[in-house]
Amino acid sequence: MAEESDDMNRRGFLQYAGATGAAVTSFALAGCSGGEEDLEDDEDGSDGEDGSDGSDGEDGSDGEDGSDGSDGSDGEDGEDGEDGSDEPFEITMTQRQDPTTLDPHDHRETTTDNVILHAYEGILWRGPDGGIIESLATEWEQLAPDRHKFTIREGVEFHDGTELSPSDCAFSVRRVVDPEVGDLESPQRDQLAGIVDAEVVEDENAIIVHSDGVNPLVFQEIASYCSVVSEEWINNTASEDIATSMNGTGPYQLTNYTEGESAVFERYDNYWGEMPDATQVEIIAASEDSTRVGQLESGETDIVSAVPPADAGRIEGSEDLYIANKGSTRILFLPMRYDVEPFSSVEFRQAMNYAIDLDQIISEILSGFGQPTAQPTLPSFFGHNPDLDPYPYDPEQAEQLVEESGHAGAEIQIEYPAGRYLLNDEIVQAAAGFIDDLENVTCEAVSRDFGTLAGELLDGDITTQPPFYNIGWGNTTFDASQTMLPWLTEGTSQTHYVSEEMEQLMSDQASEADADTREQLLQDANQLAHEDAVWVFLNQEFLVYGINERIEWEPRPDEFFLAQGMERSE
Amino acid sequence: MRLTRFFIRRTLQGILVIWGVVTIVFLLRFITPGSPIDFVAPIDASPELRQSLAENLGLDKPIYQQYGEYIFNLIQGDMGYSFQRGLPASEIIFRRLPATLELAIAATVVAITFSIPLGVISATRRNEPVDYVSTGFSLVGISTPNFWLGIMLILVVGVQVEFLPTSRRIIGFGGALELLVTEQNFLGLRVWLSHIILPAVTLGTYFTALIVRLTRSGMLEELGKSYVEASRAKGLPETLVTYKHVLRNTMIPIITVLGLQLGTLIGGAVITESVFDWPGLGTLVIESIRQRDWPVIQGAIIVIGLGFVVINVIVDALYAYLNPRVELE
Amino acid sequence: MAKVGIVLLVGVILVATFAPFLATQPPQEQNLEDSNIPPAGLTYSSEEIAFVDGERQTVTNTVQGSLDHPLGTNQLGQDIYSRTLYGARTSLAVGVLGTVIALLSGVTVGLIAGFYGGRVDDGLMRFADIMLAFPALVLAIALIGLLGPRTLEIPDPFVAAGLADGMPETFTLPLTVTLVVALVNWVWFARIARGEALTVREKNYVKASRSLGASNRRLMLKHVLPNSLTPIIVLATIQVAVIILLESSLSFLGFSGTNLSWGFDINQGRDLLATSWWISTVPGLAIVLAVIGINLVGDWLRDALDPDIGGERGGM
Repeated sequence: MAEESDDMNRRGFLQYAGATGAAVTSFALAGCSGGEEDLEDDEDGSDGEDGSDGSDGEDGSDGEDGSDGSDGSDGEDGEDGEDGSDEPFEITMTQRQDPTTLDPHDHRETTTDNVILHAYEGILWRGPDGGIIESLATEWEQLAPDRHKFTIREGVEFHDGTELSPSDCAFSVRRVVDPEVGDLESPQRDQLAGIVDAEVVEDENAIIVHSDGVNPLVFQEIASYCSVVSEEWINNTASEDIATSMNGTGPYQLTNYTEGESAVFERYDNYWGEMPDATQVEIIAASEDSTRVGQLESGETDIVSAVPPADAGRIEGSEDLYIANKGSTRILFLPMRYDVEPFSSVEFRQAMNYAIDLDQIISEILSGFGQPTAQPTLPSFFGHNPDLDPYPYDPEQAEQLVEESGHAGAEIQIEYPAGRYLLNDEIVQAAAGFIDDLENVTCEAVSRDFGTLAGELLDGDITTQPPFYNIGWGNTTFDASQTMLPWLTEGTSQTHYVSEEMEQLMSDQASEADADTREQLLQDANQLAHEDAVWVFLNQEFLVYGINERIEWEPRPDEFFLAQGMERSE
Repeated sequence: MRLTRFFIRRTLQGILVIWGVVTIVFLLRFITPGSPIDFVAPIDASPELRQSLAENLGLDKPIYQQYGEYIFNLIQGDMGYSFQRGLPASEIIFRRLPATLELAIAATVVAITFSIPLGVISATRRNEPVDYVSTGFSLVGISTPNFWLGIMLILVVGVQVEFLPTSRRIIGFGGALELLVTEQNFLGLRVWLSHIILPAVTLGTYFTALIVRLTRSGMLEELGKSYVEASRAKGLPETLVTYKHVLRNTMIPIITVLGLQLGTLIGGAVITESVFDWPGLGTLVIESIRQRDWPVIQGAIIVIGLGFVVINVIVDALYAYLNPRVELE
Repeated sequence: MAKVGIVLLVGVILVATFAPFLATQPPQEQNLEDSNIPPAGLTYSSEEIAFVDGERQTVTNTVQGSLDHPLGTNQLGQDIYSRTLYGARTSLAVGVLGTVIALLSGVTVGLIAGFYGGRVDDGLMRFADIMLAFPALVLAIALIGLLGPRTLEIPDPFVAAGLADGMPETFTLPLTVTLVVALVNWVWFARIARGEALTVREKNYVKASRSLGASNRRLMLKHVLPNSLTPIIVLATIQVAVIILLESSLSFLGFSGTNLSWGFDINQGRDLLATSWWISTVPGLAIVLAVIGINLVGDWLRDALDPDIGGERGGM
């Protein structure tokens, strides 16, 4: 059980220390102090990372300076502790789930990215508003419809001290798209859809990414996905170690990782970019909402994601905490299968939309943390149709439409993935309640396990899909087609609606080179989706964070939750 | 010699039980609708990506072949790789195991510390107020679902009074002990203790109540027996009679029942861990079932089954020790 | 104490049976405007966020409980009193049905094992050992998680007869849960029945009947079963309590399939513990009272019938 000493939470300890007035300095807390050997193995733990303060917290008061000094007891480099004149600024972040791996190419969860993206960076990146910005590439251009050139930044260092080369970037792309490269079948292959290869440009500090024919989305994809790894390190490291340690170029270097418990980072002093404020970051997880909120309120953590709206008021009202929210890129909706009764009837599908008082659901269940939607595409996305309004709440109209559809007396149920999205259980139960209130329809909500439901959607067979269900969809490319193609056109795995008109619009936009014409086509498609009531349109999900006043942070729409964007409050 | 035979026999039985457990889990896997690949592949994965991910995990092979390979590898101590985490299942499981063991042991300590004295007092002072209180407590104790008890403890002790932390294991017992020994620092132990109290009480209450009831009824039965009267008549002090003879005889059925209740303890630990976000085997099992991470489910159930087998061997040995009339078989 | 137990148990049975008459509104009926109302007599104020023209504001919201909702409402504005009444149906139905299935299958296996002895006995008892090595809750979670929660809709006779208009027309029985709790609990019955069968088999009159050519089946039904009845009844009573607790754990973890159950409601209230504590508290108290009632009756039966079943059984 020797490695148990890794489990300690530094801040938690310091608070206890503060409370007891005990001197903290003497014992070794989690962490390695850096250096290449450590990346291979963070089990050895205790190389005497100082016990420098944790400041703030509920207890305030004494004992917590602990100063430091006793750094590097096992004599490995001991680079840290010399962050210039900076006061240490340590933050703890709590999210919903622990990372499932630390291999940046072997997962698809935002919660895993939230840990990984402290240490790894992409070739391109997105600004707070979703626009493409430079990262490890300083310039990018399209040479030909299927050739895209990226000029790679010079003087960037991996955390093991080796220098970033263009071949690392090309290798990273190929590790994702080609199962033969890097000994990994990456589940992210589809995120780089259309990209087939990448190569280094001779004598230039650049790479060329090849796509399969015309692909207007290559830069969008590269800006959202594909972290850059060191080719040499990946090739010389066992896959277990790639999954439990990190060697990236990012502003933070992993110092300790305990699977299922915590990841601790130290600021990386040779970072090429702007130095973030926080000197140490610990990321933990709690799947229960009340647990996360409790940690924030007790000062065990500084910032938590996914605050339940019911607790938001109390947090906002408390002395040293505040709430920050942001519309996410995710929408919630209820797809209806066009090939089964009663949902084959447009009138019936429209009736479902009229039956639900969406505004009341948003104000009462979500405490206002949500925006009603009228179409599959969010306002900030390319292809959004600004002329559409959400279906109003009109139960009489709904009952009449049900009559017209010839399905009066229908008994239906909505299957929902339990606890998958923010309050989706309550939202769907409320929606079912509203539909059930109609005189001529009975409806109930049935809880499902997300995995099984997803399996039924993804098996490529429409007949295994439930007729009426709840799902959420996040679109990180900020383009309408990424939502509409998979759901509303024929031949994809989760399609549940097919119409000739939609097929035409979607195939036209895919081959359209002119941006304005393409936008018009997508807007028409959105209008069609609205009028044909392909889904019951619910809300855009809001990201709600609870934050300690000592941190200043503006949430990002893409759900990333990263310390490099957080600042020390004045 | 007798002891060796006992252990050999029990080991063989244990292997049989574990084999049975593995086989049942594979049967479950066979009748489970849907493929684990649905849970591994991203929601928008193309059929080709799904296919190659499945091949990568060996899921394209027929189930009997997967079963054969699994058994073959298991004999060599290899439980396979987690579908979800890219780590060996055994590594994930053994990292989580200490948390669950600590919780189970702490709960058992809570249960034994409170229950046996309470049961003894209850029996020796039958129908006095203290007996009513202890009987009432034990009745409520065995009737309260422990997840609800946990929630109520969080509500009262954690949220309203803010007396104890309500979640999360910050330090392991091993780490705390190491600190104490190497640095003479009690802080780790204090933190460990303050975090384990609520989960341990939550899990331990049912067992405390159960043992109080068993002790009380067992003692009452023994106290009515003739040898007790005889000892009393011989003039042995009352306390000696109570503790030495009566309690010893009472312990025999208690230990048997506790051995059989180990499954309950582990089941209780699963739900207690879920209430307190305790990073143990229980939360791991629930998570893995939700994600159809079969290698981890299988491995965890094997480890639990092994625990059951081992504890029952210990129980039988104790049984024989306490009751010399019983032969080890 | 036995009287208290009987009162509680009869109370729960009556509540479960006549829920449609006792409920003040259908248990699923929601009214979002009346969400999170505290029980009658209590006032609760909390700080809430409100969006006015897109601007976030903090407002203090004070809600007073009233007799319209004697035990308050949950986050969907459903009446907790009515839901708790209907929850009794789920608990009792699963508890009784699960026990009956466990009893029938367990006793059958136990009798066969005990009476035939030898290899049959060895095989069946080893299988029972394997079942015991699975913690009941873990096995139940695995089975339900993997098989999916099936349910059975049973028409409510009172509503069908037009006596309780507006109440739900059907009662949802969580079928998978019922079968699974039986599957993880039959072993206890099998052990008792086997023990009795082993004892009875050696008795002289049974040996005699056997030598006179009585069939095994006849012997089992005529001699073994009546003798094992007492301990089985006592065990069955305790098992109902155990299964009610198990069912509530499963629905608490979201593995049930019905959303009208005490465990489900406790889980629903869990995230609102810091604000609307009554949502979790009320159904929990209902479980405790029901299980206390059953346990008291079980204790009374045990003392009255005095079977030797070696102490407590079953699992939480």
